Amino acid sequence: MTEPILEVIDLKKSFGDNHVLRGISLKVMPKEVVTIIGPSGSGKSTLLRCLNHLNIPDGGKIIFQGHDISGGDIDINAVRTQMNMVFQSFNLFMHLTAKRNIALALIKVKKMTKAEAEERAIKALEKVGLGEKADAYPGELSGGQQQRVAIARAMAMDPKVILFDEPTSALDPELIGEVLDVMKKLATSGMTMVVVTHEMGFAREMADKVIFMDQGVIAEQGTPEDIFVNPQNPRTKVFLRRILKEVGALDPGIPTDFLPNGNGVQDNP
Amino acid sequence: MVMELRWEIIPQYLDVFLQGLETTLLISVVSIVLGFLGGILIGMGRISRNPIIYGITTVYVEAFRGTPLLIQIFLIYLGLPQLGIVIRSPLVAGLIALSLNSAAYQSEIFRGGVQSISVGQIEAARSLGMTYNQALFSVVIPQAIRNALPPYTNEFITMIKDSSLLLTIGVMELTLQGKLISAHTGQSIPVLLFVAVLYFTLTFSTSRIMRFVERKFAIPGMIGSESK
Repeated sequence: MTEPILEVIDLKKSFGDNHVLRGISLKVMPKEVVTIIGPSGSGKSTLLRCLNHLNIPDGGKIIFQGHDISGGDIDINAVRTQMNMVFQSFNLFMHLTAKRNIALALIKVKKMTKAEAEERAIKALEKVGLGEKADAYPGELSGGQQQRVAIARAMAMDPKVILFDEPTSALDPELIGEVLDVMKKLATSGMTMVVVTHEMGFAREMADKVIFMDQGVIAEQGTPEDIFVNPQNPRTKVFLRRILKEVGALDPGIPTDFLPNGNGVQDNP
Repeated sequence: MVMELRWEIIPQYLDVFLQGLETTLLISVVSIVLGFLGGILIGMGRISRNPIIYGITTVYVEAFRGTPLLIQIFLIYLGLPQLGIVIRSPLVAGLIALSLNSAAYQSEIFRGGVQSISVGQIEAARSLGMTYNQALFSVVIPQAIRNALPPYTNEFITMIKDSSLLLTIGVMELTLQGKLISAHTGQSIPVLLFVAVLYFTLTFSTSRIMRFVERKFAIPGMIGSESK
């Protein structure tokens, strides 16, 4: 049996009196796409940020490729080159062109020459359909294009896992599709992905496993089928009903037919 | 008694004026550059999470910003000899005082620039495996200094004008030369106006040079990057 590439055991994190993560355990298998859904404040983003130590967990274990990385004595920079993150607000380096955004870490971390790094950067940009924007600055790109550059930047590092922290939440609705398309392509290519998202269409279509978080715990997890068609936990039901109402689904009960970009429009009202 | 304005004394004493101008330019350039470098060091201390480094740099900034520059100049030139540290050259003493003072102001300008950068920039760099220092030097500082260019220009212009305080310890800079010519000839108005024009030449050039630098390093797609 294959070992999980990433395993979280009883992870805890508090900010002062605010217990954001109250004991999270989950497994991510190689090439798996795991989506994490749940209301705001449920700890989804904090969980993701704990995985690559942008927040330091208070307790529990994170096993990555067989090594416990939750301790303070590990080389976190080495871990991060294997586990990149894509942020809600893109976080492209504003003073660098798209190409150099990607090349920077290749040069500084992977110790490539400038020429090698830029060649790889252009290939990564081509993969996300932005080959012709190599010399554009982030400020000259749309939000969707910026996020695609950010995904290319993570891909170019050749990581084992990419973490996505609400990658489409800051985007105008008409730009969400292009980013989701890139993510689907990436998932199909076999990248292991952990995706915090409000895009239920993406979760349903692409996820191997859906995790529903609420109030710092995993309330329910399973296949998209389990979670979306047959949710067991009442909190899951309430959440799904509410979020589908927000995106315009007419029947707030059990969703049966919503579009991949989460518009939730039904053919037959 | 009204005295005739004799403008011809300006060409007569032009070489003396220019000597003063040269000294003022030297003082300004040296103290601006040393203040800039010192300001980055102190500014990094002010954003440090180490309480000792933060404490020392904060005391430094408050002390140099909160007391008159003239007192600082006197303390270094006249006060230090009492402790056995004699700086014979008033020019060197003056350069030290101005550089230390400007470093305090420039560290705050630098800190303001750094704090204008979103923490997401560091997080993105770190999440790609870059070290804190790599993130700081490759991502944060280049953007911070760009954002801080307008207040840096203010400080550079202030330094040029404040260099005139060194006349009090006998540095033969522009204002002191002007004062001597004025005393010698009795022609205060032509002399002082010409001294003012020479200062303005320096400050206005600084302002134009900095505008050029701003445009050269403007980030396309950011506010103000298109303005001339």
